[in-house]
This record gives sequence, C-alpha cells and structure tokens, in this order.
Amino acid sequence: MSREVPSIPNSRTQLLPLLKHEFKKDGFISKEAMSAVAERTGLPLNEVYGVTTFYSYLPVSKKSKNVIRVCRCLPCALKGALGIIESIQKELDIAPGEATADGKFSFELINCIGACDQAPAIMINDQLFGNLTPDRITEILKSY
Amino acid sequence: MAEKRIVLSNCEEIDPDNIETYLARDGFKAFERARHRMKPKDIVAEIKKSGLIGRGGAGFNCGLKWEIALNTKAKNKYLICNADEGEVGAFKDKYILQHNPFGLIEGMCIAGLAIGAQQAYIYLRTEYGFLYDHLYRAVAQARERGYLGQMDILVFEGAGSYICGEESALMNSIEGYRGEARYKPPYPPTHGLWGMPTIINNVETLMNVPHIIAKGAAWFNKMGTDRSKGTKVFSVSGDVKNPGVYELEMGSSLKELLDLAGADDVKGVQIGGSTGSILPASLLNTPLSHETYLGCGAVVVFNSTRDIIDIVYNNICFLSEESCGKCTPCREGTEVMLEIFGRLSRLEAEHANIKALEDVAKTMAVASLCGLGQAAAVPVLDSLKYFRDEYINRIEQSVFMRSYLGGEMSKA
Amino acid sequence: MANVKLNIDGNKVKVREGTTILEAAEANGIEIPTLCHIKEQSPTGACRICVVEVVGSRTLAGACHTPVSEGMIVYTKSPKVVEARKIIIELMLTAHAGVCVNDPNAENCLLHNLASDYEVGAPRFNVRFPRYYPAEDMNRYVHRDLSKCILCQRCVRACADIAGKNILSIAYRGFRSKVVTGFDEPLDKEECRNCGICIQYCPTGALSTPIKAQSKAESIVQ
Repeated sequence: MSREVPSIPNSRTQLLPLLKHEFKKDGFISKEAMSAVAERTGLPLNEVYGVTTFYSYLPVSKKSKNVIRVCRCLPCALKGALGIIESIQKELDIAPGEATADGKFSFELINCIGACDQAPAIMINDQLFGNLTPDRITEILKSY
Repeated sequence: MAEKRIVLSNCEEIDPDNIETYLARDGFKAFERARHRMKPKDIVAEIKKSGLIGRGGAGFNCGLKWEIALNTKAKNKYLICNADEGEVGAFKDKYILQHNPFGLIEGMCIAGLAIGAQQAYIYLRTEYGFLYDHLYRAVAQARERGYLGQMDILVFEGAGSYICGEESALMNSIEGYRGEARYKPPYPPTHGLWGMPTIINNVETLMNVPHIIAKGAAWFNKMGTDRSKGTKVFSVSGDVKNPGVYELEMGSSLKELLDLAGADDVKGVQIGGSTGSILPASLLNTPLSHETYLGCGAVVVFNSTRDIIDIVYNNICFLSEESCGKCTPCREGTEVMLEIFGRLSRLEAEHANIKALEDVAKTMAVASLCGLGQAAAVPVLDSLKYFRDEYINRIEQSVFMRSYLGGEMSKA
Repeated sequence: MANVKLNIDGNKVKVREGTTILEAAEANGIEIPTLCHIKEQSPTGACRICVVEVVGSRTLAGACHTPVSEGMIVYTKSPKVVEARKIIIELMLTAHAGVCVNDPNAENCLLHNLASDYEVGAPRFNVRFPRYYPAEDMNRYVHRDLSKCILCQRCVRACADIAGKNILSIAYRGFRSKVVTGFDEPLDKEECRNCGICIQYCPTGALSTPIKAQSKAESIVQ
C-alpha cells in the first residue's frame, strides 16, 4: 500500500506529498530533490525550500542510518525522559543534535508524539519504544 | 462514576481491520438513515439541536458551522477531519483511529451529506504515519460498499508541525503553503480550502455524529451540562497509576477522572495540553466542561515532588518551537518568555521578570493572530495565579546567589 | 453593495460592506499605524501593530484585515490598544541585533519612527540568541542586513506580486524564521535585477541600496 501522490487538482497541493515521497526515498530532502519538486510543481526553489524547512520531519541534511528521537514534552519529562537522554548519550557518546562518527545513529529531541500513556517514549526510525527505563537502552541500541 | 463509553463503544469490541464487524454492531445504519430518509438541512438541524460542540479544543457549535457551510453557495465544498492531535498529552484520537476507523468514516459520510461536500481529507499527523495504511484500508472497505458515493476520502499526511492542527494553518498545509495561520474572518465554513466552504472537525466530534443521528438529539442533550452536551474522551498521563483514555459524561468532576486514572498524590494538573489551564489540587472538584476547563481533554497530572516552574518551562519550550513565526507577539513573545524561564531555571532571575512575563503573556493573549499565541499566556498566567510563591522563591534564590557570588550572575 | 454604519473613536462612520476597519478609519481621517500592510494589496496580518479594540471582543482585531460590521464600536487608541502596541514594538526591538542609533538609515526606519511615536525605549526583554546575521553585500543592487528584519513579509510579497519575480520566501519556523532566496543562499542571483522594489517596501534598514550605488535617498513606500 503506497502513499501515492494524490491527484488533487492544484499543482501546489502536490508539494507536501511530493516532498514526503522524496523523504521516503533518501531519508532527507536533498537540493536535487527540491529542484526536481520545484520543476514538477512550477514553483521557485525558494518556495520549495521555505515549505520544506517549515516542517520538523523534512530534514534538508543527510541523516544517519538510524534516527533516534526522544520525546521531551511534559508527560515524558515527568516520567524520566532526562534519564533516557543521558543513557543514550552515555551509550553512544553523542549529545542530542549530533550523530555517531560511523554514521549509524543520529540523536534528536522531538515534541509530543502522542505516546504519553507509555511515557517515557522514543522512536528509532519508525519504531516506537515506550515505558522505557535507562537500563533497556543498551539492549535496544544493540539490536540495530 | 464509571466510564460512559459512547464514542468509544466499539473500540476493542470490533476488528478495526474488518468493516463487517462494525456493520454487525449497527455500523453505517445511521448513515443509511441520513442518506435515504433525511435531507441535508434535517441532518444539520438534528446536529444543531443536539448541542454537539467541537471536541478538538475550541468547542464551537458543530451544527452551526455545518449550517453556514450548507447555506454557502459554491462550486466545491470540502470536509476535513483534523487528525493532527499535536497537543501535548493528547492521544485519544490515536486510540480512536486505531480501534474504530469505521466510526470516523461513518461520521464523515454523514457530515458530507449534510454540507454537500464532494471531497474529504483526513489530515493525519506524520507521527501517526503508522496508521496511514490502516486508515487507507478502512476507507477502501467503505468505498467498496458504496458508502463514499458522493464524497471521496483521502488521507493527507502532515510532516511534523503542531500549528498545523490549527484549522487555518491546516488548510495552508494542504494547499502546499507553509503552515502559517490565517486571519479570521473569513471563517472556513464560508471561505476555507482554496476559498471554498470547508468544515474542519476533530476526530472525536465526527465520532459523535452517527450516535446522534441514530439515537436522536434529545438523547444526546440529556447528557452533559448547559453548554457542553454529551460525553468527552479524556487522555490522562503523568503521575498516575493507569495512564490512558477514559470517556466520561461532560460535567464530570476532575476528581472522578483522576480516581479512574489512579492519581493519589496530586499537586496540580494541566488540562488541555501545552496551552491548557494549570489547576491546583484545591480545585479537584471542578466539573470538566467548556464552561470551566476542558480544551481537547488532555490531562497531565503532577505530584507533590514536581516544580511548577519546570512544568511551565517545558510548555513554553514546546510552544516557541512550534510557533509558526508569522505574527510578532507569538514569534517574539514565546522566545522572550523562554529566556526568562531559562533564567528562573538557572537561578539567574530577578523580580522584574514577573512583570515582564505578565506583560508579554497579556499582550500575546489579545494580539496574536491565532489560538497558539493567544493561549500560550494561559499556563504562565495560571501558574502565576496559583503558584506565585514558587516564582518568588526562585527569584529570591537568584538574588541570594548573585549576592553570595559577589554580584556576578551565577553560571551554574 | 450595502452600507455599514459603525463607530470609530466616537465618530459615526458609514462605508461599503467588505471594507476593513483600516480602510474605514483612513477614509474618515483616522490614522492607524501599520508596518506589514501593503496598500491596495490583500492584508498579511503579521506585524499586529494595527490592532484595535472592538467592543464585545476579547481579543484585539487587526484593523488591516478585519471587515467592518453593522453597529461595530471601534477604539483605535484606547489604553488597551496603546499598551499592546508598545509591547509589540518592544518585542520587535528585542531581537534586533545591534543598536540602530548611529545608523544613517535609522531616520528612514518606520519601526524607529513608530518606537519614537509610542515612546518605546530600549527593550527590557532579552532573547537567548539575538537575530544576528552577517550583512550581505554580494549583490550589486540590494544590501541585506537581516539583523534588522522584522519578518513583516513585505519584501516577499512585493517581489512576488509587484515585481513579479518571486525570488524571496520565508524559511524555517517560529523565531528562527528568515527571508531567504534559493536554498538560503546570499542574494547573488541573476534574477535580481535592480528593480529596487523590495528596498522600497522594506520598512526598516534590513534592505537598502548599497552605498556605492546610492545617488539619492530612497523613500519607503507606505
């Protein structure tokens, strides 16, 4: 079941679905991808860049093989997100916003993903890990 | 008081991947009634009479919105189901989408008949992208059985932006623009998507529709309070034993909800997400409705070990990151408030900070372009009202640290 | 078209339906300050300087975009309005990197004039990282100093709708928003050719003519 680009009448409406399609291919939105999308929608590059950089899940820089996203919002913060951040930091020797030298993991903090009843929660790529404790981090990261 | 599962009545009772299990429990009977035995204006009248108000947080009269859209002449009309659920502590729509997408689709089909829409979108937040295929399949099954005759449904996925849950930013997002807010008027029911009449309803709002059409407005009316009829689905998290989704009649007290969720040590709660009211434990008997405190129904509980300043700091951090950046009060104001909370957190604050917070918050509340900026003031002003002593405490500690370190700002 | 009767600052006003509060006020000699509004173009609603008090409404209304309604009572200079405007101006000045006191362009800066009108001095607020960008001098026709940008979007709309070029857009989100060209590159493009329109519409000193090419002072279009 693919996320096909819907054939909605206005070409500008295709912009976000096209960008997400590019993201699915490369894991980020490259300049080449933005140029191709600009071409297809008839929009100037600056407009495509402006829309792309507005969204949190359309990064314009290349990501590592695995992206770790730790939720830092209130319910997760109350239930120990800081401990999870610290244990990932200790395990991989990188701080939020950084990536491992071997390109295996990048680490970022994100806003609420709606898993508050399983707080603290993180995502690694598309996989959700909830009800986490710092001692589970090592085994989880080893499986990647 | 026990839960009253009406919106959630089929959740965990049907197979959410098989429409037959929904049909076996009277699914789409309300739609058939609306399609064959009611005119659009009758459907609108019934929803109006029921008193159904929006469940996404704004609480606007649903039937009234539909009536305006129905009566606006236009070439195309659109229906949007707002499944962006970006509010901190909200996960009720996720639960609904996971366990009963068919109820939503039925509600959307009835809404489509009422306003005369030819195209509908489910704006699904990207963080719920794992539900895309699931929703797609549910829509396909409904389409196969001919329920989507006059109005097709498309799932439109977002890309990570809380403000895109705000209706005007949502429309900009679908249209391919940055998710900036739009000024109002005009309102979506007259000028929405591509300038056409558009109805935007929350997932839970639409879930109520088949029940109202099947059992009647009078039945719905009997539940709830004067202005908030029916039930509300709450999502409770934080310092509680049983975080999760609970459905109670509107007007149930906060204490009843917290008892269900297992909260024994309560210092305060935040109701409605990051821009929600912060209530101290002394107000636990408050009935929850739009007349008092509700928002989208996200309830985060904090116990006596928690610091209110840290909680509001967390809220403002979120809001400044998610502000679309179009209007001055919100774009600059959230950042200014964030700077002050940083200093409160590092014990580098001063007494003038409180007036600064109040001035910025009050200006944002009256001058911001959309609800995000307007409501960002709420947690700040509420915490200053109920927990002022915590702020004073931090400031006095800051003053002490400065004098103790000989007049230099603490770097700790 | 129907006529609408309303009251602005105690004055009875009658205008056509669909007129904005700003237009209705101006037609009756009442001035409301604006920054992001471009006359004759559709409103933006970004700066919020033009907010006015409308009796019965909890929030202030942006005069540039709010249409009049029958029986509306508007106050354009009430204490609530003046207080809000002062703080909005103060907020705009907060993220400005650098003081504009010695800037030769300052007298042409509409924000500077507004701050002076409303007696707003140095802002008491701070932000973690002021909006500092190194000045861009690469383009022969436009000198960009984005540290002075107030994100009013006038240049973006002027370039798109008046010059017909559409080479400017807003990028990123929230406080980090920025006016960009291309993929956020310095303005060194062939497409930008001395039409000077963005400079005319910029209300602050963010966009100006490079000193070398300047032969007369530009006046800013209202």
